[in-house]
Amino acid sequence: MSFDLNRSEDQRQILDAAGALLATGFPVARLREGRPDDLAPLAEFGAFSLSVPEPEGGAGFTLVEEALLHALLGRHLVSPRALAATLAAAVARRAGMADLAAAFAGLERQACLAVASGGDILLLDPANAEMALLFEDRGLALVEIAHAQPEAGLGRSLAVARMPGDAGAVARSDDARVLATADLLVSAQLLGVAEATRDLAVAYAGLRQQFGKPIGAFQAIKHHCANMAIAAEMLSAQLDIAAIALADGRPDAEFQVAALRRLAPRTALANARACVQIHGGIGFSAEADAHHFVKQAHLLSRLGEARPILDLPAPMAPLRPAHERT
Amino acid sequence: MQLKTTPEDEAFRAAARQWLLANVPAARAPHEGRAASDFARAWLARCRQGGWAGIGWPKEFGGQGLPPQRILIWYEEYVRARAPSALDCTFVGLNHAGPTLIACGTDEQKAFHLPRILSGEALWCQGFSEPGSGSDLASLKTTGTVDGDHLVVNGQKIWSSYSDVADFQELLIRTEPGSKRHKGLSWVICDMRTPGITVRPIVNMAGVSHFAEVFYDDVRIPLSNVVGALNDGWRVAMTTLGFERKTAAMGLQFELSVKVEDLIALAGPQPGTALAERLADLRAEAAALRAMTYRMVLREPATQSDGSMMRLHFAELAQRIYRTAMDIIGPEALVDNDWSHDYLEAYSETIAGGTAEIQRNIIAERVLGLPRE
Repeated sequence: MSFDLNRSEDQRQILDAAGALLATGFPVARLREGRPDDLAPLAEFGAFSLSVPEPEGGAGFTLVEEALLHALLGRHLVSPRALAATLAAAVARRAGMADLAAAFAGLERQACLAVASGGDILLLDPANAEMALLFEDRGLALVEIAHAQPEAGLGRSLAVARMPGDAGAVARSDDARVLATADLLVSAQLLGVAEATRDLAVAYAGLRQQFGKPIGAFQAIKHHCANMAIAAEMLSAQLDIAAIALADGRPDAEFQVAALRRLAPRTALANARACVQIHGGIGFSAEADAHHFVKQAHLLSRLGEARPILDLPAPMAPLRPAHERT
Repeated sequence: MQLKTTPEDEAFRAAARQWLLANVPAARAPHEGRAASDFARAWLARCRQGGWAGIGWPKEFGGQGLPPQRILIWYEEYVRARAPSALDCTFVGLNHAGPTLIACGTDEQKAFHLPRILSGEALWCQGFSEPGSGSDLASLKTTGTVDGDHLVVNGQKIWSSYSDVADFQELLIRTEPGSKRHKGLSWVICDMRTPGITVRPIVNMAGVSHFAEVFYDDVRIPLSNVVGALNDGWRVAMTTLGFERKTAAMGLQFELSVKVEDLIALAGPQPGTALAERLADLRAEAAALRAMTYRMVLREPATQSDGSMMRLHFAELAQRIYRTAMDIIGPEALVDNDWSHDYLEAYSETIAGGTAEIQRNIIAERVLGLPRE
């Protein structure tokens, strides 16, 4: 159908396949072992060029499927290098560097995400990356990694390194569509965090017994879970609308992506916080999975910033002046 | 998953916009009483003349029978043209009683009542809540005793919106003696002119009255006014409460986007201020509510529980919008004006139609599967 928000058969198939790959290859429990993710299976799946047209070596899907895929990546706390591969390829492609783009998507060239901090660049889960996809003030830059010093990351579980901020850029993009795509996929991963933490909390609330019953029987816990569900649902709906608008090049695309990007961080963080809270003492420990979602939410929230939504034309502006007072 | 409109959809949008801009009344709707009901009837009559009444109703019952994308388009144009709020005296008839009769009524009941609802000739109110039965509706005590081919009704209802101007009431009563909770209830059509009915308006915190207490003193209602089977009223009522989250919700939810735009205009440029951040948040949240509305209409399953999440988000966003308005208008917040009035009216959003607390329980239990208390 041309006007409905049910997933198509094609969408269901690709997302089910991705979900199965992630469930077996990237279970959240793997984070307890502290090993860096091997993203090769995802590269083989075509995850980093999902919306690239087939003649250009991609899987030929749209930004809609790509966004939904990144929501799954977010759910499984896949290394930020997955986002780096996708966005580095997009920046390279936009700069006319087709071979470099393909190399990023196939992981022959390794990239990691980076953010500017004061005069430094912080590299996020650098592993073996040679290049950094740097989020600048309203732009993305591809930077060669040099003189990077590893540092203890947030909570001693995020992997970070610091390098000087005066590195030259191999390519830059302030293209509106590239930036909107970055915002879309970052938001999608944040949605994944929001949904996973809702599900984790609800599962725990059904299992953990105190005072002779599952804690989910108590209204205070129920209401926390309901709030998580409402927030995740709201963000999920907005993701669908924003992804469709951007994929179709609609006039309100920037507005919808700006709304999404503005709401995504607080939704993911609030849900991740509530998830720790519902897990009680265990949630506070490094042994449970809940803390990883908190940290990932912070990481994703640092990647660029929503476009100022008040500066954009609103799709639902009134068509006539306000009424006279009766 | 697509949102591709056809050229016919765009022509529909243009026609709707043109008609609305030419026909929406210049003045806001009056708040209460006869003035409010006259205004609501006149607007419905004008919509009917233009071929725009019963947007969500099936064609076979006099409605437009529009597909979902056209209903969405209609309501977007409706709120952007500042058409009168859907929450007026015609609301219960168009969005509760009418759809319930369509789903559960006899052919005679449909043939008599549906055209009168669509024309505005008959206004409806709801007789569900009682002083002792709000959130716990199933505990209701108003009784109907079978006497020949009538029911004799005794008891009291409260919060019955527009019952001072309504012609008919959807009335939920206990008809099986000794029955408990949701067993033994009946949903009946009550003619508000029946002897023994007393309506006592209640003033709300906005200082206006558009709901009331209703007292029933040996009120005789024909058994032919029972909708669905006698003693099967809970099932019929659940149909009603399910409809609450469909078509009418669209107008109210989209309207918040326009309210946010009005707030932004009201505040004027405020670059870099805390207020600007709040307005940006409200713009984003209204956009997300619109997205949820699209999803409700365009995705399966659209269940009552999905509706609860959206209804609650709407209620709390509406209240935040009006709180922000009160901050923007400053000292004028102490005067009765449109914003301060709407701010006070919005207190009911998290209370009426299922309190926020109950909605959260429903979401936790029915959507998330957490254990009942």
